[in-house]
Amino acid sequence: MTRTADLQGDIGDVLLTEEDIAAKVAELGRQIAADYGGRNLTLVSVLKGSLPFMADLMRQIPLPLRIDLMEVSSYGGTATESSGLVRIIKDLSASIADEDVLLVEDIIDTGLTLNYLVRYLRGKNPASLRICTLLDKPARRLVDIPVDYVGFEIPDQFVVGYGLDYGERYRNLRFVGVLRPEVYTPAD
Amino acid sequence: MTQPAAGVPPARPAFAHASEAELARILDFYDVRWTYEPDTFPIGWSLDGEVVESFSPDFYLPDLDLYVELTTLKQKLVRKKNRKLRRLRELYPDIRIKLFYARDFRMLLLKFGRMALVDELTGTTGQATPPRPADAGPEPEPVLSLAELELPELDPDLLVAGPATTPRGRRRGRRRRRGAGEAGPVAVEALATEDPDPPPA
Repeated sequence: MTRTADLQGDIGDVLLTEEDIAAKVAELGRQIAADYGGRNLTLVSVLKGSLPFMADLMRQIPLPLRIDLMEVSSYGGTATESSGLVRIIKDLSASIADEDVLLVEDIIDTGLTLNYLVRYLRGKNPASLRICTLLDKPARRLVDIPVDYVGFEIPDQFVVGYGLDYGERYRNLRFVGVLRPEVYTPAD
Repeated sequence: MTQPAAGVPPARPAFAHASEAELARILDFYDVRWTYEPDTFPIGWSLDGEVVESFSPDFYLPDLDLYVELTTLKQKLVRKKNRKLRRLRELYPDIRIKLFYARDFRMLLLKFGRMALVDELTGTTGQATPPRPADAGPEPEPVLSLAELELPELDPDLLVAGPATTPRGRRRGRRRRRGAGEAGPVAVEALATEDPDPPPA
Protein backbone atom coordinates (compact mmCIF):
# COMPACT_ATOMS: atom_id res chain seq x y z
CA MET A 1 0.00 0.00 0.00
CA THR A 2 1.32 3.42 -0.88
CA ARG A 3 2.14 5.50 2.15
CA THR A 4 0.50 8.91 2.40
CA ALA A 5 2.91 11.75 3.09
CA ASP A 6 2.35 13.68 6.31
CA LEU A 7 3.65 17.13 5.48
CA GLN A 8 4.71 18.11 8.99
CA GLY A 9 4.82 14.76 10.79
CA ASP A 10 7.35 13.23 8.43
CA ILE A 11 9.96 15.81 9.36
CA GLY A 12 12.41 14.86 12.10
CA ASP A 13 14.28 18.09 12.72
CA VAL A 14 13.92 21.54 11.26
CA LEU A 15 17.36 22.35 9.90
CA LEU A 16 16.62 25.87 8.64
CA THR A 17 13.66 27.93 9.68
CA GLU A 18 11.75 30.24 7.41
CA GLU A 19 13.51 33.15 9.11
CA ASP A 20 16.96 31.60 8.66
CA ILE A 21 16.31 31.17 4.96
CA ALA A 22 14.89 34.67 4.46
CA ALA A 23 17.87 36.29 6.16
CA LYS A 24 20.36 34.28 4.11
CA VAL A 25 18.56 34.93 0.83
CA ALA A 26 18.61 38.67 1.56
CA GLU A 27 22.32 38.48 2.32
CA LEU A 28 23.03 36.59 -0.91
CA GLY A 29 20.95 39.10 -2.85
CA ARG A 30 22.98 42.01 -1.50
CA GLN A 31 26.23 40.25 -2.31
CA ILE A 32 25.14 39.40 -5.85
CA ALA A 33 23.83 42.91 -6.49
CA ALA A 34 27.17 44.35 -5.41
CA ASP A 35 29.09 41.99 -7.68
CA TYR A 36 26.92 42.40 -10.78
CA GLY A 37 26.16 46.11 -10.79
CA GLY A 38 26.24 47.52 -14.35
CA ARG A 39 26.34 44.09 -15.98
CA ASN A 40 23.83 42.07 -17.99
CA LEU A 41 22.81 39.54 -15.39
CA THR A 42 20.67 36.53 -16.23
CA LEU A 43 19.59 34.18 -13.44
CA VAL A 44 19.14 30.62 -14.67
CA SER A 45 17.30 28.29 -12.37
CA VAL A 46 16.73 24.58 -12.53
CA LEU A 47 13.23 23.24 -12.03
CA LYS A 48 11.68 22.16 -9.86
CA GLY A 49 13.64 22.31 -6.62
CA SER A 50 15.11 25.78 -7.12
CA LEU A 51 11.78 27.47 -7.72
CA PRO A 52 11.18 28.98 -4.22
CA PHE A 53 14.82 30.01 -3.87
CA MET A 54 14.83 31.63 -7.30
CA ALA A 55 11.59 33.48 -6.62
CA ASP A 56 12.89 34.88 -3.34
CA LEU A 57 16.45 35.57 -4.50
CA MET A 58 15.56 37.54 -7.61
CA ARG A 59 13.44 39.90 -5.50
CA GLN A 60 16.46 40.57 -3.29
CA ILE A 61 18.62 41.69 -6.21
CA PRO A 62 17.76 45.29 -7.17
CA LEU A 63 19.22 45.08 -10.67
CA PRO A 64 17.54 44.96 -14.11
CA LEU A 65 18.15 41.25 -14.46
CA ARG A 66 16.58 38.59 -16.65
CA ILE A 67 15.51 35.15 -15.54
CA ASP A 68 15.27 31.85 -17.35
CA LEU A 69 14.36 28.33 -16.36
CA MET A 70 15.63 24.89 -17.27
CA GLU A 71 14.54 21.40 -16.39
CA VAL A 72 16.61 18.28 -16.77
CA SER A 73 15.65 14.68 -16.31
CA SER A 74 16.85 12.96 -13.19
CA TYR A 75 18.46 9.56 -13.07
CA GLY A 76 15.94 6.80 -12.66
CA GLY A 77 17.68 3.74 -14.01
CA THR A 78 17.06 0.25 -12.83
CA ALA A 79 19.44 -2.59 -12.26
CA THR A 80 18.39 -4.25 -15.47
CA GLU A 81 18.05 -1.48 -17.99
CA SER A 82 20.08 1.44 -19.14
CA SER A 83 18.45 4.80 -18.62
CA GLY A 84 20.48 6.61 -21.27
CA LEU A 85 21.66 10.14 -20.88
CA VAL A 86 20.34 13.10 -18.99
CA ARG A 87 17.78 14.97 -21.09
CA ILE A 88 17.00 18.66 -21.23
CA ILE A 89 13.25 18.64 -20.62
CA LYS A 90 13.01 22.41 -20.79
CA ASP A 91 15.74 24.46 -22.41
CA LEU A 92 16.50 28.14 -22.01
CA SER A 93 13.95 30.35 -23.71
CA ALA A 94 16.49 32.98 -24.82
CA SER A 95 20.14 33.14 -25.77
CA ILE A 96 22.64 33.70 -22.99
CA ALA A 97 25.51 34.52 -25.34
CA ASP A 98 27.53 37.42 -23.90
CA GLU A 99 25.31 37.52 -20.81
CA ASP A 100 26.62 37.23 -17.28
CA VAL A 101 24.87 34.09 -16.12
CA LEU A 102 24.30 33.06 -12.53
CA LEU A 103 23.09 29.49 -12.19
CA VAL A 104 20.75 29.27 -9.20
CA GLU A 105 20.59 25.86 -7.53
CA ASP A 106 18.65 24.63 -4.52
CA ILE A 107 21.24 22.08 -3.37
CA ILE A 108 24.56 20.70 -4.52
CA ASP A 109 25.53 17.28 -3.25
CA THR A 110 27.25 14.92 -5.69
CA GLY A 111 27.74 17.70 -8.23
CA LEU A 112 26.78 15.39 -11.10
CA THR A 113 23.82 17.44 -12.30
CA LEU A 114 25.69 20.69 -11.79
CA ASN A 115 28.68 19.38 -13.73
CA TYR A 116 26.41 18.52 -16.63
CA LEU A 117 24.63 21.87 -16.55
CA VAL A 118 27.82 23.90 -16.35
CA ARG A 119 29.23 22.16 -19.40
CA TYR A 120 25.93 22.65 -21.22
CA LEU A 121 25.67 26.34 -20.37
CA ARG A 122 29.32 27.05 -21.18
CA GLY A 123 28.58 25.75 -24.65
CA LYS A 124 26.17 28.66 -25.10
CA ASN A 125 29.00 31.18 -24.75
CA PRO A 126 27.93 33.36 -21.82
CA ALA A 127 30.22 36.25 -20.92
CA SER A 128 30.59 34.65 -17.50
CA LEU A 129 29.07 31.77 -15.59
CA ARG A 130 28.87 31.59 -11.82
CA ILE A 131 27.01 29.34 -9.43
CA CYS A 132 24.79 30.16 -6.49
CA THR A 133 23.32 27.49 -4.26
CA LEU A 134 21.16 27.76 -1.20
CA LEU A 135 22.41 24.48 0.26
CA ASP A 136 25.75 22.79 -0.07
CA LYS A 137 26.35 19.24 1.08
CA PRO A 138 30.13 18.94 0.56
CA ALA A 139 30.40 15.55 2.28
CA ARG A 140 28.70 13.97 -0.71
CA ARG A 141 30.62 15.74 -3.45
CA LEU A 142 31.81 13.55 -6.27
CA VAL A 143 32.49 16.23 -8.85
CA ASP A 144 34.24 19.26 -7.41
CA ILE A 145 33.03 22.47 -8.99
CA PRO A 146 33.80 25.88 -7.50
CA VAL A 147 30.62 27.42 -6.12
CA ASP A 148 30.62 31.20 -5.92
CA TYR A 149 27.70 31.84 -3.58
CA VAL A 150 26.68 29.37 -0.87
CA GLY A 151 23.80 29.93 1.50
CA PHE A 152 24.24 27.14 3.99
CA GLU A 153 26.63 24.23 4.29
CA ILE A 154 24.54 21.38 5.64
CA PRO A 155 25.36 17.97 7.14
CA ASP A 156 24.95 14.73 5.26
CA GLN A 157 21.25 14.23 5.90
CA PHE A 158 18.32 13.87 3.56
CA VAL A 159 16.52 17.21 3.59
CA VAL A 160 13.23 18.33 2.13
CA GLY A 161 11.23 21.55 2.00
CA TYR A 162 11.63 24.99 0.42
CA GLY A 163 11.56 23.33 -3.00
CA LEU A 164 13.35 20.11 -2.10
CA ASP A 165 11.30 16.97 -2.46
CA TYR A 166 11.10 13.32 -1.71
CA GLY A 167 8.88 11.58 -4.24
CA GLU A 168 7.64 15.00 -5.42
CA ARG A 169 6.26 15.79 -1.95
CA TYR A 170 7.29 18.30 0.72
CA ARG A 171 8.39 21.00 -1.74
CA ASN A 172 5.86 23.44 -0.29
CA LEU A 173 7.26 23.41 3.24
CA ARG A 174 8.39 26.89 4.23
CA PHE A 175 11.46 25.52 6.03
CA VAL A 176 14.16 22.94 5.33
CA GLY A 177 13.86 19.82 7.45
CA VAL A 178 15.35 16.38 7.79
CA LEU A 179 13.08 13.64 6.57
CA ARG A 180 12.47 10.87 9.09
CA PRO A 181 14.30 7.73 7.91
CA GLU A 182 11.18 5.60 8.37
CA VAL A 183 9.55 7.62 5.60
CA TYR A 184 11.95 6.27 3.00
CA THR A 185 12.85 2.97 4.63
CA PRO A 186 10.42 0.23 3.65
CA ALA A 187 8.74 -1.43 6.60
CA ASP A 188 9.59 -5.12 7.12
CA MET B 1 38.22 -0.50 -19.94
CA THR B 2 37.56 2.92 -21.41
CA GLN B 3 34.24 4.19 -22.66
CA PRO B 4 33.99 4.81 -26.37
CA ALA B 5 32.90 8.14 -27.80
CA ALA B 6 29.45 9.45 -26.98
CA GLY B 7 26.68 7.78 -28.90
CA VAL B 8 28.46 4.45 -29.19
CA PRO B 9 27.12 1.89 -26.74
CA PRO B 10 30.02 0.85 -24.55
CA ALA B 11 30.89 -2.76 -23.97
CA ARG B 12 30.22 -3.27 -20.29
CA PRO B 13 32.99 -4.67 -18.16
CA ALA B 14 32.33 -7.56 -15.84
CA PHE B 15 31.57 -5.65 -12.68
CA ALA B 16 32.40 -7.39 -9.43
CA HIS B 17 29.29 -6.04 -7.74
CA ALA B 18 25.89 -4.89 -8.93
CA SER B 19 26.33 -1.58 -7.11
CA GLU B 20 29.33 -0.85 -9.33
CA ALA B 21 27.20 -1.46 -12.42
CA GLU B 22 24.60 0.92 -11.03
CA LEU B 23 27.18 3.61 -10.35
CA ALA B 24 28.47 3.17 -13.90
CA ARG B 25 24.93 3.75 -15.18
CA ILE B 26 24.64 6.88 -13.06
CA LEU B 27 27.94 8.21 -14.39
CA ASP B 28 26.83 7.41 -17.94
CA PHE B 29 23.58 9.23 -17.35
CA TYR B 30 25.40 12.40 -16.32
CA ASP B 31 27.89 12.02 -19.16
CA VAL B 32 30.87 11.49 -16.88
CA ARG B 33 33.49 9.33 -18.57
CA TRP B 34 34.88 6.46 -16.53
CA THR B 35 37.12 3.45 -16.70
CA TYR B 36 36.68 0.38 -14.56
CA GLU B 37 39.60 -0.76 -12.41
CA PRO B 38 42.23 0.57 -14.81
CA ASP B 39 45.07 0.71 -12.30
CA THR B 40 46.44 -1.33 -9.45
CA PHE B 41 48.65 0.35 -6.91
CA PRO B 42 51.06 -1.66 -4.79
CA ILE B 43 50.75 -0.65 -1.14
CA GLY B 44 52.65 -3.36 0.68
CA TRP B 45 55.89 -5.16 -0.01
CA SER B 46 57.67 -8.08 1.59
CA LEU B 47 61.18 -7.63 2.90
CA ASP B 48 62.32 -9.07 -0.43
CA GLY B 49 60.62 -6.22 -2.24
CA GLU B 50 57.82 -8.36 -3.58
CA VAL B 51 54.41 -6.74 -3.75
CA VAL B 52 52.15 -8.48 -1.27
CA GLU B 53 49.31 -6.00 -1.03
CA SER B 54 47.76 -3.73 -3.61
CA PHE B 55 44.73 -1.57 -4.18
CA SER B 56 42.65 -1.32 -7.36
CA PRO B 57 40.13 1.52 -7.16
CA ASP B 58 36.87 0.62 -8.84
CA PHE B 59 36.60 3.62 -11.15
CA TYR B 60 38.79 6.26 -12.66
CA LEU B 61 37.09 9.41 -13.98
CA PRO B 62 39.62 10.81 -16.46
CA ASP B 63 37.99 14.20 -16.96
CA LEU B 64 38.06 14.78 -13.21
CA ASP B 65 41.35 12.96 -12.59
CA LEU B 66 39.60 11.17 -9.78
CA TYR B 67 39.50 7.58 -8.57
CA VAL B 68 36.33 6.30 -6.92
CA GLU B 69 36.16 3.29 -4.67
CA LEU B 70 32.70 1.99 -3.95
CA THR B 71 32.11 -0.31 -1.05
CA THR B 72 28.89 -1.77 0.21
CA LEU B 73 30.67 -4.02 2.67
CA LYS B 74 29.64 -4.27 6.27
CA GLN B 75 31.24 -1.67 8.49
CA LYS B 76 33.54 -4.23 10.11
CA LEU B 77 35.12 -4.90 6.75
CA VAL B 78 35.16 -1.28 5.72
CA ARG B 79 37.75 -0.70 8.43
CA LYS B 80 40.26 -2.70 6.40
CA LYS B 81 39.44 -0.76 3.29
CA ASN B 82 39.90 2.51 5.18
CA ARG B 83 43.34 1.38 6.20
CA LYS B 84 44.28 0.47 2.65
CA LEU B 85 42.97 3.77 1.41
CA ARG B 86 45.00 5.69 3.95
CA ARG B 87 48.08 3.73 2.97
CA LEU B 88 47.41 4.50 -0.68
CA ARG B 89 47.18 8.19 0.10
CA GLU B 90 50.44 8.07 2.04
CA LEU B 91 52.29 6.36 -0.77
CA TYR B 92 50.70 8.20 -3.67
CA PRO B 93 49.81 11.64 -2.38
CA ASP B 94 49.18 12.98 -5.88
CA ILE B 95 46.27 10.60 -6.41
CA ARG B 96 42.76 11.95 -5.90
CA ILE B 97 40.45 9.23 -4.64
CA LYS B 98 37.03 9.21 -3.01
CA LEU B 99 35.55 6.32 -1.10
CA PHE B 100 31.83 5.78 -1.44
CA TYR B 101 30.54 3.91 1.58
CA ALA B 102 27.35 1.87 1.68
CA ARG B 103 25.66 4.80 3.37
CA ASP B 104 26.76 7.19 0.62
CA PHE B 105 25.46 4.84 -2.04
CA ARG B 106 22.21 4.40 -0.17
CA MET B 107 21.76 8.16 -0.01
CA LEU B 108 22.57 8.46 -3.69
CA LEU B 109 19.83 5.98 -4.54
CA LEU B 110 17.48 7.77 -2.18
CA LYS B 111 18.18 11.03 -3.98
CA PHE B 112 17.18 9.38 -7.23
CA GLY B 113 14.11 7.82 -5.66
CA ARG B 114 15.55 4.33 -6.09
CA MET B 115 15.29 3.04 -2.55
CA ALA B 116 13.79 -0.19 -3.83
CA LEU B 117 17.20 -0.93 -5.31
CA VAL B 118 19.08 -0.64 -2.05
CA ASP B 119 18.49 -4.17 -0.87
CA GLU B 120 19.09 -5.43 -4.35
CA LEU B 121 22.41 -3.70 -4.75
CA THR B 122 24.04 -3.68 -1.35
CA GLY B 123 25.80 -6.31 0.68
CA THR B 124 26.17 -9.84 -0.43
CA THR B 125 22.90 -9.92 -2.32
CA GLY B 126 24.39 -7.37 -4.67
CA GLN B 127 27.20 -9.63 -5.78
CA ALA B 128 27.14 -9.86 -9.53
CA THR B 129 26.74 -13.34 -10.89
CA PRO B 130 29.80 -14.18 -12.95
CA PRO B 131 29.02 -14.93 -16.59
CA ARG B 132 28.87 -18.63 -17.32
CA PRO B 133 29.40 -20.28 -20.68
CA ALA B 134 26.27 -21.60 -22.34
CA ASP B 135 27.49 -25.16 -22.05
CA ALA B 136 28.39 -24.89 -18.42
CA GLY B 137 27.51 -27.75 -16.16
CA PRO B 138 25.09 -27.70 -13.26
CA GLU B 139 24.90 -24.70 -10.98
CA PRO B 140 27.73 -24.86 -8.44
CA GLU B 141 27.01 -25.08 -4.76
CA PRO B 142 26.56 -21.64 -3.23
CA VAL B 143 29.60 -20.40 -1.38
CA LEU B 144 29.45 -17.90 1.43
CA SER B 145 31.22 -14.66 0.68
CA LEU B 146 33.66 -13.11 3.13
CA ALA B 147 31.07 -10.52 4.02
CA GLU B 148 28.64 -13.23 5.00
CA LEU B 149 31.27 -14.97 7.07
CA GLU B 150 31.93 -11.70 8.91
CA LEU B 151 35.61 -12.29 9.38
CA PRO B 152 36.91 -8.84 10.15
CA GLU B 153 40.51 -9.97 10.39
CA LEU B 154 40.53 -11.16 6.80
CA ASP B 155 41.12 -8.69 4.06
CA PRO B 156 39.20 -9.88 0.99
CA ASP B 157 41.30 -7.75 -1.34
CA LEU B 158 44.48 -9.32 -0.04
CA LEU B 159 43.24 -12.71 -1.16
CA VAL B 160 43.15 -11.64 -4.77
CA ALA B 161 45.71 -8.88 -4.77
CA GLY B 162 49.02 -9.35 -6.46
CA PRO B 163 51.43 -7.38 -8.52
CA ALA B 164 49.99 -4.75 -10.80
CA THR B 165 47.48 -6.53 -13.00
CA THR B 166 47.60 -4.46 -16.17
CA PRO B 167 50.57 -3.23 -18.18
CA ARG B 168 49.44 0.32 -17.45
CA GLY B 169 48.99 -0.51 -13.81
CA ARG B 170 52.38 -2.15 -13.64
CA ARG B 171 54.01 0.87 -15.24
CA ARG B 172 52.15 3.17 -12.91
CA GLY B 173 52.89 0.97 -9.98
CA ARG B 174 56.59 1.07 -10.68
CA ARG B 175 56.50 4.76 -11.37
CA ARG B 176 54.42 5.54 -8.32
CA ARG B 177 56.48 3.28 -6.12
CA ARG B 178 59.62 5.04 -7.29
CA GLY B 179 57.82 8.32 -6.72
CA ALA B 180 56.99 7.21 -3.23
CA GLY B 181 60.75 7.19 -2.61
CA GLU B 182 61.77 6.39 0.88
CA ALA B 183 58.29 5.28 1.85
CA GLY B 184 58.60 1.84 0.28
CA PRO B 185 59.13 -1.01 0.30
CA VAL B 186 57.18 -1.56 3.49
CA ALA B 187 56.79 -4.90 5.20
CA VAL B 188 53.16 -5.88 5.17
CA GLU B 189 53.31 -6.89 8.83
CA ALA B 190 53.72 -3.25 9.71
CA LEU B 191 50.42 -2.51 8.00
CA ALA B 192 48.39 -5.16 9.72
CA THR B 193 47.45 -2.97 12.67
CA GLU B 194 43.89 -2.05 13.44
CA ASP B 195 42.58 1.09 11.89
CA PRO B 196 42.15 3.61 14.70
CA ASP B 197 39.71 5.64 12.64
CA PRO B 198 36.18 4.36 12.95
CA PRO B 199 34.17 4.30 9.76
CA PRO B 200 31.45 6.87 9.42
CA ALA B 201 28.20 6.08 11.16
